[in-house]
Amino acid sequence: MNVTCEDRERIFMDGSVEEWAALEVHAVNCAECGEELRVWKSMSTAAGELRQEWESPYLWAKIEHGLQEQMAEKPSKLLGWLISSRMMGFQWQTATALALLVIVTGTLLWMKPWDQKRLTSDAFLRRSAVNEVERAEAEYQKAIDKLAAQAQPVLNEQATPLMASYREKLLVLDNAIGELRAEAGQNPANAHLRGQLLAMYREKEETLQEILETKR
Amino acid sequence: MATMGLALPWGAKISSEGRQRGTRVESSQYPASNLVPATREVHAEDLEVAAACQAGEMHGYERLYTLHGKRMKSVARNLLGSATDAEDAVQETFMKVQRSIGTFRAQSSFVTWTFRILINTCYDVRRSRARKKEVTNEGTEENSLPEPKAPGSHPSLKLALERALRQLTDHQRQVFLLYEVEGFRHAEIAGMLEITETASKNTLFQAKKNLRAMLEPPRSQSAEAL
Repeated sequence: MNVTCEDRERIFMDGSVEEWAALEVHAVNCAECGEELRVWKSMSTAAGELRQEWESPYLWAKIEHGLQEQMAEKPSKLLGWLISSRMMGFQWQTATALALLVIVTGTLLWMKPWDQKRLTSDAFLRRSAVNEVERAEAEYQKAIDKLAAQAQPVLNEQATPLMASYREKLLVLDNAIGELRAEAGQNPANAHLRGQLLAMYREKEETLQEILETKR
Repeated sequence: MATMGLALPWGAKISSEGRQRGTRVESSQYPASNLVPATREVHAEDLEVAAACQAGEMHGYERLYTLHGKRMKSVARNLLGSATDAEDAVQETFMKVQRSIGTFRAQSSFVTWTFRILINTCYDVRRSRARKKEVTNEGTEENSLPEPKAPGSHPSLKLALERALRQLTDHQRQVFLLYEVEGFRHAEIAGMLEITETASKNTLFQAKKNLRAMLEPPRSQSAEAL
């Protein structure tokens, strides 16, 4: 393969192994190419000197600590609350109620019933849509409050383990709703938060209905 | 481009211990594979480390650090100019990797993905520094360099190159550092910087041309050196 001085830059940019070899041969008899080739290679050699290596005996320990801290923070606030507070020592009824809560919430989130209402069509809702959602939410909350008022005597009257579980479940739901509402207050157009809030309200509604069912 | 008064002592001998770089000048088809072997074992290891990290296993992150920590520090040091900042950037990179591991889709190698995060982290640090300087109105140029201790003395090849590198665009400097200093292949650089392989080659070529112009000694000196 023969190359000329005109090929030099192209080879520097993207030459094949054969072209490089041919350029080396050409450079033996061409002072200009010989010099350019030498300079080009020298830059690479000098660049190798810029590689920095030093010992950092504590760096991994710092990283590991940071990762562990971050991992500990990772679970959702609700889960964190469940783990850190009262859930650990609860009876099996509570565990069952919680498992049910998780399943129902998961199913709701998976099925995304609010999709039909176009609540999650966009991550961020328009202002008018936000107002509409907030109105509907307020109405829904009022209805649930009425239901809760009806269920309250049943909860208070019956000192059974089942009612204790329901009380705990409602406490968990109220906490979750409170947290979600606070977050939604800071970010009112976040459809995902609204969806989660709706799922929690639905779960509370169903729970209250179950409590009222026990009376019949 | 005008020369920058950074005459390069081309005749200076440079130790190439540990890195026989002279022949990996420009063509991606030169044997870069001896630096970053794209072997099946490496690929398998990459997948294993990614899987362990995705599973939240600490040993995955530890393996990532053991295998690539040094190179991560070097890249960050060259982009940020300080060992302390480099270590902070590496630490922050690991945090970000953990936070966003769920978004890793194995479209590139895990290591490439990690280095992409590192490079972005370094540029976040640089931007933050620049903003702070604006606020404090120090007025010093971000890339200003410590001058050689003995003004007028002949700067070493390494120092000359280091100074010249800071005159390049960020993009050219990144590509040059990743290819020539850290030994990554163009395909890997393309993945890290989200550009094409051809763009990586072109950028490297432009970077070296600019460096060549900045470092070019006066003809007379050049002739003496010869």
